[in-house]
Amino acid sequence: MSLDQTGLELGRFLSYLSQRQEVIASNIANADTPGYLTRDVEIPADFSSALFDAGSSVVEEPGLVSRNDGNNVSIDREARLLSDTSLKFNLATQMIRAELKSLRSAIDEGRSS
Amino acid sequence: MSLFTAISISASGMEAQRSRAEIITENLANADTTRTPEGGPYKRKDTVFTTSPVQYSFTDVLSAASGQNDGVAVSDVTIDDREPERRYMPGHPDADPQGYVAFPRVNPAEEMVDLLSASRGYQANVAAISAVKDMIARSIDLFR
Repeated sequence: MSLDQTGLELGRFLSYLSQRQEVIASNIANADTPGYLTRDVEIPADFSSALFDAGSSVVEEPGLVSRNDGNNVSIDREARLLSDTSLKFNLATQMIRAELKSLRSAIDEGRSS
Repeated sequence: MSLFTAISISASGMEAQRSRAEIITENLANADTTRTPEGGPYKRKDTVFTTSPVQYSFTDVLSAASGQNDGVAVSDVTIDDREPERRYMPGHPDADPQGYVAFPRVNPAEEMVDLLSASRGYQANVAAISAVKDMIARSIDLFR
């Protein structure tokens, strides 16, 4: 269900963000699991492409320092990504709200603001 | 809906950290225990974490084959087999003929550091749940 291209892309952005939040939750839960490697969701090249609906892939994040037990989860990195994802989600939902508001205004022939 | 799966994942992390804290408090409580049902002094225990798939819905079960987004579980509780600490206490009922008593090798400082780490891990999982709850509330707000 979508009204136009912007709505569709915002919807895809929301689903990317929720998938990413799930991966971050997994990283935090496994912060003390020996041998666990930090994962992240690959950012889709293009939210306008229908290819996105096929699902984006989860990859292991390179360039992090492993500890002695082979685990490379950095709680600080995950905390930053957690709030980052949450704020972006907030932003996207506000944009969708604004779009729905203008649609409602069109339905009411501009009488309601 | 994957946001709800994220909550399940964080909940598995909270559960694992709580079990770890339980084992640590058990070690601390038994730091001076010289008698156990197995005989000999108490032996300190350690928890081992492993990734474990979290399944929230039917689609998650279907996609579990891809092995993505694991929760965490306590896979094993290991027993520390270090030699007990021998203290010279000739009057103690568990003293050996030389007057030494075997005490568990529990280092309170080590246990407290582990307990702090478990507590911080728990907090991190709670923070993740709050963030996801906020996102779900934002989605619901779209219906207003």
